[in-house]
Amino acid sequence: MSIHRPFALAAALTLIAAAPVLAAPAVGQLAPAFTAKDGEGKTRSLAEFKGKTVVLEWTNAGCPYVQKHYGAGNMQGLQKDAVKDGVVWLTLISSAPGKQGYVSPAQAKTWKATTGAGSTALLLDPGGQIGRAYEAKTTPHMYIVDKTGKLIYMGGVDDKPTADHASLKGAKNHVAAALGDVKAGRPVATAVSRPYGCTIKYAE
Amino acid sequence: MTRFFARLLAAFAVLGAAPAMAQPVDTGHLVAELVARDQSIAPGATTYVALRQKIDKGWHTYWRNSGDSGEATRIAWTLPAGWTAGDIVWPAPTRQPTGPLMNYGYQGEVLLPVPVTAPADAKPGQSVTLKAAATFLVCEEICVPEDAVLTLSLPVVEGLAEPNPAWSGPIAKALSDAPTPAAFTSVFAKQGTTLALAITGQALKGADVSQAYFFPFDSTVIDHAKPQVIERGPDGLTLTLTPGYAFQEGDGPKAMAGVLSLGDKAYEIGATAGAPPPGASGLGAPPSKAVGGGGGALGLPLAAAFAFLGGLILNLMPCVFPILAMKAASLAGHAHERRVAQGQGLAFLAGVLATFLALAVALIAVRAGGAAVGWGFQLQSPPVVAGLALLMLAVALNLSGVFEVGSSLQGVGTGLAGKRGMAGAFFTGALAVVVAAPCTAPFMAPALGWALTQSAPAAITVFLALGLGFAAPFALAAFVPGLLTRLPKPGPWMEGFKKLMAFPMYGAAAWLVWVLTIQAGNTALARIFAAAVVLALAAWLLGVAQHRRAQGGKPLALAGIGGALAVVAALAAVWPSYGEPQAASSAAAEGGTANVPYEAYSPEKLAAAQAAGKPVFVNFTAAWCVTCQVNEKVALTSQGVADAFKQTGAVYLKADWTLKDAVIEAELAKHGRAGVPLYLVYGAKGGEGVILPQILTEGLIVRALKDAQGR
Repeated sequence: MSIHRPFALAAALTLIAAAPVLAAPAVGQLAPAFTAKDGEGKTRSLAEFKGKTVVLEWTNAGCPYVQKHYGAGNMQGLQKDAVKDGVVWLTLISSAPGKQGYVSPAQAKTWKATTGAGSTALLLDPGGQIGRAYEAKTTPHMYIVDKTGKLIYMGGVDDKPTADHASLKGAKNHVAAALGDVKAGRPVATAVSRPYGCTIKYAE
Repeated sequence: MTRFFARLLAAFAVLGAAPAMAQPVDTGHLVAELVARDQSIAPGATTYVALRQKIDKGWHTYWRNSGDSGEATRIAWTLPAGWTAGDIVWPAPTRQPTGPLMNYGYQGEVLLPVPVTAPADAKPGQSVTLKAAATFLVCEEICVPEDAVLTLSLPVVEGLAEPNPAWSGPIAKALSDAPTPAAFTSVFAKQGTTLALAITGQALKGADVSQAYFFPFDSTVIDHAKPQVIERGPDGLTLTLTPGYAFQEGDGPKAMAGVLSLGDKAYEIGATAGAPPPGASGLGAPPSKAVGGGGGALGLPLAAAFAFLGGLILNLMPCVFPILAMKAASLAGHAHERRVAQGQGLAFLAGVLATFLALAVALIAVRAGGAAVGWGFQLQSPPVVAGLALLMLAVALNLSGVFEVGSSLQGVGTGLAGKRGMAGAFFTGALAVVVAAPCTAPFMAPALGWALTQSAPAAITVFLALGLGFAAPFALAAFVPGLLTRLPKPGPWMEGFKKLMAFPMYGAAAWLVWVLTIQAGNTALARIFAAAVVLALAAWLLGVAQHRRAQGGKPLALAGIGGALAVVAALAAVWPSYGEPQAASSAAAEGGTANVPYEAYSPEKLAAAQAAGKPVFVNFTAAWCVTCQVNEKVALTSQGVADAFKQTGAVYLKADWTLKDAVIEAELAKHGRAGVPLYLVYGAKGGEGVILPQILTEGLIVRALKDAQGR
């Protein structure tokens, strides 16, 4: 038995080491860890919010779909409601420098102020590592991480995949519903949905 | 009479109301317009009205499933009472890759036909206005939602409608090209992290499925950006897909509908969950489409003939020249003992065939294991290159007379030496094949490319034909009496010739070391040189031991040390594994001395250059490929070629296959090739690449670039 232990240990270590690389993010699995700078230049990480529900929102101010949600105050409302309930809301920008949606730290602060965003922090991911780790495809693209660090929702903001502002009325908001489920202690009913919007402008 | 009257009225209507009239609207990045198949419509009849999008260059609109992002075009109709419009008949989309993501849509010009039905009580003579509010997302890298309210006036006329001369043809074509439900059996099954989609049907038997692609209607069933791996079966094909979000919940979907595109044809399919039928797989990857003389269209006899010819020509390539020179010398040595010469000729043939067989079996086995390898694959591994470098050095030292293998020189003509000579000839044959890998001869590439997509027996037949062609000149020479007697008589000159031939072998060793540094970086240099020095010392010790034994001594210790050192040197060269090369030392970075600046190849760069309307020259090469290097030195870096690149504005992309690379391997396979070199020229106006011959000349490249400018 003792002969096999080092081997088993090595195999386990290999698996652990390989897991974040191999696994595509999936509901029920641990959310990929990350650190990123916010608009203030402060380094934030997913780990610091352990024990809290965390919403991740990918955004790009130049994207018509993002504009739909921000123009009418829909996204800001969601953010404020969530933060009021003790949820951490991280907005991420994975646009590469020179591409649509990219912001410098100073621009990030300005954008957060002018939009009246209610998010906890705006994180900058110009290299796109976080976006790629989450396989984030669109802006907006939403993820919810539960108190234990597991993904419990990934997909679109709502069920109206269009840039038409009128579509906000009558849309079923998946993020609000999922956060409602969390608050009520229920499993998330719609855990996966189709993300929709503009392609994230990743670095080549 | 009423009929006549109606017609007359209709004629007036046609003249007066101007039939099927519409105004195009420029929405910013495309021009939208409603166009009708017919000039008029009869009461109760159905016609087709299409939304025409003339999209700006570089921009695209989306299919019904837009893929990872984007949004499909939508039309909201406002029609007179009783009139109805159906769903858009979507043409098969094309893939629009964006960074790491995949979208499905249309570029250039697209017609989205919609069936429009007039009510039975529509009044002939009347002209109705069809109004469509079209909304669409147009994307280049950024996306812009655009919309247009389009109108079309259509006269109601009794009787058969007159086709609209401008649009009846294009709309009929759009309708006939559109994917239609096919009588296929489609089954899908999630297998671990992959999703197998098996499609069988009469129309798929023996069809060219090399371009097969599944476009799902639902955007959640597959990961659009992941490659779709094609496997053929006797009754159809299997696509290996990556499951999408929908499979994260419960058992996943029970049905999956979409479009199976085969490139030139597209079918609508509805797959259900279940066990894939055996007839949908088992024949491996599809043979590539025949493009400009590619291997796809070859049959076994032709492929074998090509391989034989390629093998013959391989004798003239620089890789094997030193070894064949040795062989020639040995043949000359036995020229006047026919039986020995014939025996050795056959042994050489056996050595060549056995090695080709071993290579073919290894290649097929590795490919069956799923690895992307092709001709020359053994040279993509640094330990193999290092080992070969040492082998070349050992052969060179042997030729220089540092040590002997056996004692062939002393005992020419004796029975024992005859046997040893046989083993030597066999070994020479094997060695010749091993070193031949870096050279690809004309005719060889299409044959091998074809072989690797076929069943194992067919592939082995082609490899053996190659071996036969390669060994034929020497094996046959021994059986042509006139030829043997014409060779110079053996004598002291042979010793000198042998020593002279050592130098090409030293050269070969040096060249392999160069290949190794490109593969594994500068640190490999110290290791291989240390191993080489130790090997040289070992060879010298062995030589001394052999010399003493010849004088009656028993230099066991000396021979032992020599043998041990040789083993150490060989081990040090192949183990532990080599590191990655530093970026700066890769072959791609080095070639900056060439007159034509180039970029490393990627399918995205190719697409970008084509989108920019530039001709593209793609050079698939490898540091270990001598044919490639010769072409680059002789033709590709000449002034004329550099000028032609400048004049035509052509983009030069280099695909370096020195190390294993699945993307390049797939690209080679797509053009029916199993190895490098491969030269492709893409026209400025897009479309498929044209394959250039494997031996390039300046004039040939210049002409190809000029052609590409206008194509």
